[in-house]
Amino acid sequence: MTLRTEEFVVNMGPHHPSTHGVCRLLLTLDGERVKKVEPIIGYLHRAIEKICENRTYPQCIPILDRFEYVTAMSCNYVFSLAAERLAQIEVPERAEYLRVIMLELNRIASHLLFYGVTAMDIGAYTPFLYGLRERELIIDLFEMTCGQRLTYNYIRIGGVSQDIPPEFAPKCREAVRIIGEKMSDYEGLLNENPIWLARTKGIGILKPEDAIAWGVSGPVLRASGVKHDLRRDDPYSIYDRFDFDIPVQPNGDTFDRYIQRLDEIRESLKIITQALDGLEGLEDNTIKAKVSPNFKPPAGEVYARIENSRGELGVYVISDGSKKPLRVKARGGSYNQLQALPLMCHDVMVADLVAIFATLDVIMPEVDR
Amino acid sequence: MTREELTQHIIGKFGGRVIHLEAGKYDPLFEIKAEDIVDICRQLKEDPYLSFDYLANLGGVDTTEHFEVVYNLASVFKKLRVDLKVILPYDRAEIDSVIEVWPSANWYERELWELYGINVRNHPNLTRFLLPDDWDQGYPMRKDWDAPDFIRMPER
Repeated sequence: MTLRTEEFVVNMGPHHPSTHGVCRLLLTLDGERVKKVEPIIGYLHRAIEKICENRTYPQCIPILDRFEYVTAMSCNYVFSLAAERLAQIEVPERAEYLRVIMLELNRIASHLLFYGVTAMDIGAYTPFLYGLRERELIIDLFEMTCGQRLTYNYIRIGGVSQDIPPEFAPKCREAVRIIGEKMSDYEGLLNENPIWLARTKGIGILKPEDAIAWGVSGPVLRASGVKHDLRRDDPYSIYDRFDFDIPVQPNGDTFDRYIQRLDEIRESLKIITQALDGLEGLEDNTIKAKVSPNFKPPAGEVYARIENSRGELGVYVISDGSKKPLRVKARGGSYNQLQALPLMCHDVMVADLVAIFATLDVIMPEVDR
Repeated sequence: MTREELTQHIIGKFGGRVIHLEAGKYDPLFEIKAEDIVDICRQLKEDPYLSFDYLANLGGVDTTEHFEVVYNLASVFKKLRVDLKVILPYDRAEIDSVIEVWPSANWYERELWELYGINVRNHPNLTRFLLPDDWDQGYPMRKDWDAPDFIRMPER
């Protein structure tokens, strides 16, 4: 007797705990094997770009906080950068140092969250508690500085909204020390764990040429072996003053995408220490260039891009000389990573699809906007 | 290659087919004709000095006079950046797809079709994307479109 078999179609999501928000994956399955996967998005579309067209430039920044809220500092920064390039504003040196410290702290917070939720998606619960415990230290630093824990509205056009309190620097150094010490704990939990290795090694390989063609950027691109980091390749702010490495991984599989984030935390810790040292030597206490509340940049257009924890974060801003932008087009790393998901999911098990999706670190508000 | 060298190289390569625009405040910005888009993009990608292998962003613009489509290109290995702009009149809002040059253009062009109503020729999958499946209220990113319950604040 022969068993009748056929492919069947299953909806995974939109409300599925491992899709990190509301993403729907249309799976074509042959038993447990994934034959085809089609991401369907749009469940979280809030028309952020349209809203920005009806706001003045300073009002756009808190709207863009909600664009990618896990690293809201980067969203604040990239829009400020675009506006500063349009109006050719010189930013005070102290503000640049504060921005770099905040951006790197936010990157670490995001990677710690990644470490926790990815491990939880693959079935390990303890890393989640470890990751969020240290993330709390960073969130407390942000709360101390600007009063907010998630959407900061801290980096403004021309500088930052307020100076750090005196107790910030010692607490920040303490946090850097603690996170640096805990790195071995994080790696000790997973790196040699046989179950973790079986679930991640050699799964979901993304080739470097595919990654570039599909617009993949950031840690996912570097995990495929391409040494590309906008902090070095298209320098912005004062990143050229700091000494840091750009880690890359050889294979581009799920394991490499996980270990890449941990390597990047170490580099960010280095940058923060150097920036805190640089901040101490500064005499000028100005934290914001003079920008009128009726800010009107001259007509022109600019595409600003920065290295975010999820890849290239860019905004294309067109000014027509009025106080509202004519067009704001925001682009986040998750969008292209999700678009490239089918490349990595050829003939994998459903459980591996969850692992691959988790290591792309997709955040849906950034995709849907 | 500096920004000036890049600008000169592209002008020398394409001559009258590209117009250098002063509006680009940071990276070079060129206006090109709609029928040239696939050809110029492919040449930019295949030129060994440029190798624009990475489409960073693609978006539509409604200036209230015409549509524009802007391509933000980057080169991963040469560390270059350039922007291309195509101007489309309202009555001929059609452009060729660049998916064959950069596969990542797929979703961006679906967005262009859905939110601006710009038709993308040779696109394999122009279907509802960000908006609900039963959407029938036009193209929300156009400037003359307001949400039915949207009340504009008076200008001060």
